[in-house]
Parts: sequence; structure tokens; C-alpha cells
Amino acid sequence: MGTCIITGSGSGIGKATAIKLAQCHYFDSYALVGRNDADLQATMDKMVPYGAEVKLFNIDLAYPERIPELVASVNDTMGGIDCLLNIAGYTDPKSLLTTTLDSFDLTYRVNVYAPFMFMRESVKYMRQKGGKILNVASTAGMTPRPGWLSYASSKAALISMSETLTAELSEYGIMVYCVSPGRCATKLRKRLAPDEDPTTIMQPEEVAEVICNLVNPNECCLDGQNIVIRKVMKK
Amino acid sequence: MYTLILLSGGTGTRMHNAVPKQYMLLAGKPVIMHILERVDQIDRIAEVVVVCANEYVSSIELMLNQYGVRKKVMFAPAGDTRQASVKSGLSLVKTDDVVIHEAARPFVKVEDFDRLLDEKERNAIFGTSIPFTVVRGHAQVEGLLTRSELVNVQLPQKFETRLLKEAHEQASKEGVEFTEDAGMVFKYFPETTIAICPGMDYDIKLTTRIDMLAGEQIYDDVFRRRK
Repeated sequence: MGTCIITGSGSGIGKATAIKLAQCHYFDSYALVGRNDADLQATMDKMVPYGAEVKLFNIDLAYPERIPELVASVNDTMGGIDCLLNIAGYTDPKSLLTTTLDSFDLTYRVNVYAPFMFMRESVKYMRQKGGKILNVASTAGMTPRPGWLSYASSKAALISMSETLTAELSEYGIMVYCVSPGRCATKLRKRLAPDEDPTTIMQPEEVAEVICNLVNPNECCLDGQNIVIRKVMKK
Repeated sequence: MYTLILLSGGTGTRMHNAVPKQYMLLAGKPVIMHILERVDQIDRIAEVVVVCANEYVSSIELMLNQYGVRKKVMFAPAGDTRQASVKSGLSLVKTDDVVIHEAARPFVKVEDFDRLLDEKERNAIFGTSIPFTVVRGHAQVEGLLTRSELVNVQLPQKFETRLLKEAHEQASKEGVEFTEDAGMVFKYFPETTIAICPGMDYDIKLTTRIDMLAGEQIYDDVFRRRK
């Protein structure tokens, strides 16, 4: 059982995953991380009926230097850290010549530096008894996406980090997973493809289902690889 | 309870590297941190004395913080010889029993430390049989040695602190140098039983560049859980 940290749990895949995990009773307690109190509270309200102990942590991941204090607080007040789900993401789709340094930097702060900081700080506590880390990357990190320079490259970085840390953290009994969802009906997707009908693509609950299968304590064979999640749509 | 003296005074001359081997990366992690992380999990080891050159103290302290090591770690200055370094570390030991280990032997598991501490004799070492034939001599063969009577001495080792301190005092007075501590204790306290626990073939000492290459394979085989 134990404690699970979920970033980006106020909406989209993070929210769907938090609720699904509570339904599955894989953990006793959850640290929900996001930057909108009302959104986090809404997620929590759907978890509590399943007996989950939930704590909310409001933080803007554009400032990853605040993460060590947050992780220490989770460890100290929630009985340790057993699982970390880096789900939060940010995108500002632009072509090379219109991408500003500030935009590029913000994308990397949320999509790369924040997961890095969450992993570094959590491992300090997880390494004694092992655990699981799961990073949500994107198929954009695997194939060329003109106009998505900062987002696609940041997700490529997250895929690479996951593979590196699978080997580096193996001694501690920490398994590192990486999933790359394809088109999924989230707020972030809406920024990437504003004209797309969200009802025609994969839903956050379907990605959450896959994540829960990986986080399942009995799962022990699928870490260390970039798992692509794409839905076969019915005609 | 035990204090671990972790010898880390090597200068890396045989590695032909500006950075001593105990601070080089093995499996992506500084060699010295492999043992410090594992010892952090052993409750019977109350504290650690790292014996090293003063110039490395601050970088080791930084690594201890970065890796989240919670055990109390103290520092003693390295001596000119291994024996002097052990004696330097012993000066900070307050527990009744002490474990001696070297940072350049990073492949000792928590279970191996536990096995040594579980040994009922207070003085104990790890030893393996010698897989090759040896003779006595320098430029020419001067005599025979019986392989079956010899033991490859490994670390870690454990000793009653009082006994080891007295042995070091005696050796200092006589000006005698020993290359390891079991032989020294045996020399001055021959009536004391020093148990030999079955050693580990993976417990090699990183000395040369080839050892570092082999060490990556040993780490993969012994410690990486993802097979």
C-alpha cells in the first residue's frame, strides 16, 4: 500500500489516474500536486468515497526549486513515498523562429526539470525500500512534430531520462516506467490541436487504465521501456 | 554496536587518473557512495569514520547529503600508510567493536555485512581460497607455499576495538608495518580466535583501469535487479 505522489492531478490524465487508483485501492494515501485548488479539491472529492487518504499540494511546477520541500513534507507527514507519477505537462506550440527563450524555458521547467526534481528528491526516501516511478511522456517525443519544438523535445528528454534511471535505480528496487500517450482528450491536447473533436480521440480514463495496470504492485516486467498508448478507434 | 572505519585515502596512482578510484563513477555513482549507501541500511553500525585526505571531506559531505545518507559520518585524516590510516580512524571510535572496510571494495552487499556481524566470534574476516599456485621468491624461486594452507584475505573485517587499538600501539612501538589488520591482531594476540567467514568472489578491490571495466560487469551481475 503506502503513499503515491501524482503531479498534474487537477485535470486530464492526472485526475483520471488519481481517481482510478483510489478505486483500485493500490495505495493508502495520495499526495495530489497541482496549481488550482478547486481542481485538486474536485479530484479529491471523487477519491475520498473509496477510502483514500488525500492531501493537496498547490505548487506551480514552473518553479521546480520548491519541489524538495514539498517532497520532504509528503515523506514526513504521509509515512514515506512508495510511488511517484509525473503526469503534469505544459505546451506552447510554436515553430522554431517564433519560439522565445522564455517559452522554451517554461516548457522545460514543467516537463523536464520538475520531473527531474520530483524523482531526485523522492528517490532519497524511496531507495531504502524500493518503489515505482512513472513518467508520462508523449508520442510527440518519438517522431518529428514541426511546430511543437519545445514540447516534443522535452518529452524526448523525459523518455531518455526514464530509460537511464531504470538502470541507475535498479539496485534500489525502484522501477521506472514511461508511457507515451498518443492523441488524448486533455486541455493540453486542445492547445496542440484546437480544431480536433475531443470525442473522437482517446480519453484520459483510458490512459489512466494503462497507468494503473503498470502501477499495480504485481506488475514487474514492463519498466524501462517507452510504452506507447494509442487507442484503436471504432469506425 | 559497531563503528565502520572506511578507508578512503588512496591516491589513485595505479589507476593513472587524477581522481582517486574511490571517487570515480561506477555504474553512474561515485565508488565510495556504494558502500556508504548500503551501510546506511545497517542499524548495527552506529556510525562511520571515513579516513581520507582533508581535500575530499567537503565533497564527501556534499555526496552524503545528495544521496540522503542519514547515518552519522565523521572524518579522520589519512596517514602515509594503510596502517597509519586505520590508526587515525580508530582514534574516533567509541563503540566496543569496529568494522574495517575500504571504499575501493564497493561490491559488498548488506547481507555480507550482516553475515560478518552475525559471526559469533568478535574478531572475524572474510577469506576465499586462492585459485592459483604461488611460490616464495623474487628474481628466482626460493621456496614453496602450500596453496591449501593459504587464504585470500578480504574486507570487511571486524574486531574488538580495544584489541585492535592495542595491536596498533604495539606495532607503532616496534615500527612494524602490516598490510592488513587480521595479521596484526594475530601477531600480538595469537591466543585470540579470528574467524574466517566464507568470502565473496565479487568482493574485488578496484585498483587498475581493468578493475573498473570488470567492476561494471560485476555491478550488473550482483546488484542490478532488472535482469
